[in-house]
This record gives sequence, structure tokens and C-alpha cells, in this order.
Amino acid sequence: MRKLLIGLAILFTLLAIALSVLPFDTLAFLPIGLAIAFGLLLMQKSNENQKKLPKILLTITAICSAFVLGKTLLVKDEVVVDQTFEQQKIETKQEAKKELEELEQLENDLE
Amino acid sequence: MKKIFFTICSLLLLCSFSTENSVNIKAGEKLVYAGSYNMSGLMTQLAQVTMTTENVATAKNNYLHLSCELSTYSKWDSFFKIRDIYESYVHPTTLKPSLYKRSIDEGGYTKKEKYVFKDNKVTSTVKKRKYPESTKTFSIKPTSIDAVSILYQLRLVDFSKMQTGQTKSYTIVFDEKEIPVTLKYMGKETVKAGNLGSKECYKISIGAKTDALKGKDKNLIWLTADAKKVPALIKFSIPVGTGQLALTSASGL
Repeated sequence: MRKLLIGLAILFTLLAIALSVLPFDTLAFLPIGLAIAFGLLLMQKSNENQKKLPKILLTITAICSAFVLGKTLLVKDEVVVDQTFEQQKIETKQEAKKELEELEQLENDLE
Repeated sequence: MKKIFFTICSLLLLCSFSTENSVNIKAGEKLVYAGSYNMSGLMTQLAQVTMTTENVATAKNNYLHLSCELSTYSKWDSFFKIRDIYESYVHPTTLKPSLYKRSIDEGGYTKKEKYVFKDNKVTSTVKKRKYPESTKTFSIKPTSIDAVSILYQLRLVDFSKMQTGQTKSYTIVFDEKEIPVTLKYMGKETVKAGNLGSKECYKISIGAKTDALKGKDKNLIWLTADAKKVPALIKFSIPVGTGQLALTSASGL
């Protein structure tokens, strides 16, 4: 039983770290919650001299929680100004104007 | 992303039960949306969608340039960067399209499309990454329009005359083919509309004969129940999940 809890606690702690680093916002709280739950169960099933691992795992998940919460509250979702994209928009617009004039010319010729 | 865009377009547009040209779409409008995707029951913000209008003049004519841009938030750019532009050049009052262009860059996959509308025919030019450019001409219905201009045509519709449950069929041109779409008016609801505050909106359900949309009455759009009929909220359900576009800011209305 304890071995299973160790496996699950480590697995969800690793997932919590991965999702905290990636830009998944509050979705990271899912593995964090499960890691905390299994960490606490592991703590309960451990003897006094076996509590080092669950303490480490719970500390890591607590740090992940704080990190995700901080990102959610403090980091604003924004789009960076992409010079390549801006240039592409200008060029596309210029091309479109030419294409419209060609279309008009074609219509004139047909008339 | 193509499916998401198609869904959004379908939701927005096909609300054209009838067209009343009493309201004009003005140049200088800017609508900004926060695009979210449902991941394990939690909405995660992925991208910003910006819809703008501006006048474009050639030597002979004036056009209204309708543009719809999609850019991932900076936090996603390192993982999966998206920079899409969908644009249409339309007649300023009838909104009939003359030229439709689409340029997508989704995580390195690129594709460019150009549709030239002339009478009841469309000449399409498509260039996908690693593939040679291809050109095709195909016939369309006189009422068929492109995926961007229809987004604006719906704002000319008088929904106040619609009855709950009333449906209407439409056709749009997307991916070099015509796609029939059915929409259903579902009454009014109040939703948040960004800087416009909470607004009473027309609720419309969209269905299309395509694999891009999933579920019954799960693809929805809320349009403000005023003269501007601004799309305030869009919810979509596609084979790979669900998501929404929420209006964050509207200016130049």
C-alpha cells in the first residue's frame, strides 16, 4: 500500500512540476491537488523515520501551488508585438490592393 | 485551429436570417476577444482574436477591409505559436466580397489562400508549405459569401423579428467548397461583454453539415441586442473539445 502511495505521490508531483512550468494556468492545480492528497496519505502511512519523502513531495507541491497562483494573479495574458507578423500584414494589404485593381481592370476589359 | 475558426465563423455569420441594410458597418471598428480552450474542465486562455475594419481605396472603387487576426498569448509562443490572418475585401454597404485571403502559421505549418469572387464563381489559389501552388475555379450560389464577411453581415440582421426556435439555412465558402449551415434563434440572455458591461444578447445556435462542429445546440453565439449587434460571446464544440471566445474590448463602434 505504501509503495503504491509513493508511486502515485511521485507521479503526480512530477506532473505538478511539469504543468506548473508550462502555460496551463489553473489546470496545474489538478495534479497539484492529487499530489497533495497522495502526499498526505503517504505521510499518514509512514513511520516517524519514513516521513522525509512525503515532506519533500509536499514541499515541492506547495511551491508549485504558490508558483501557479502567482502566475495566475500577477502575469497578464498578452500578445507580444511581432514585427514579422506586422510586416506580413502590411505586405498582404499591399498585395490585396494590387489584386483588387487587377480584378477591376479585368472587369473593364470584359465590358 | 482551422476547425475552431470555422466554428467561430459559422456561429457568427450564419445568424443572417434576413438582411436589413439599415445599419452600416463602419471603418475603424476594433473587437478584441480572449480565446479559451477547455482542458479537463478548466478554461485555459490560449489566444487573442482581433477583428478590425478599415476603408481601402483603389483607383476605381472603395472597399471595406474586414480583418480577423488570431495570435497566441506570449506564454504559448515558445510551445505552439499561432499567427493567423483571415481577411475579406467587401463592398462597403452590401458587404458582398470581392477578395478573401487567409494566411495561417500554426506551429510552423503554413498555408496561404486567396479567393477571388466574380459573379457566381470563385477562383481560389492555395499554397501549402512544401506543396506547389494550386489554382481552382468553382461555381457558387449567388448568396454564398466568405467566412469573414459573413461575420459582419449578421450584424445587419433584425433579430428582434425572430421567434424562438426559428431556423434558417445559409451557405459559406470555406476550404474551397461550399458548406451549408443552419442556425436557430434561441431567445435572449444577458452575458458579459467586456468593456461594454453586461448586455442583453440574442442567443443563436449554429449547426453545419461538416465534421468541424459537434453536438446539438452546443455551438452558440450571443450578439448584443442593440443596433450594433456586437458578438459578445461565442461557445464552440468541436471533435477535439470545447472552447469559447469572450469579448474583452470593443472600440470604434
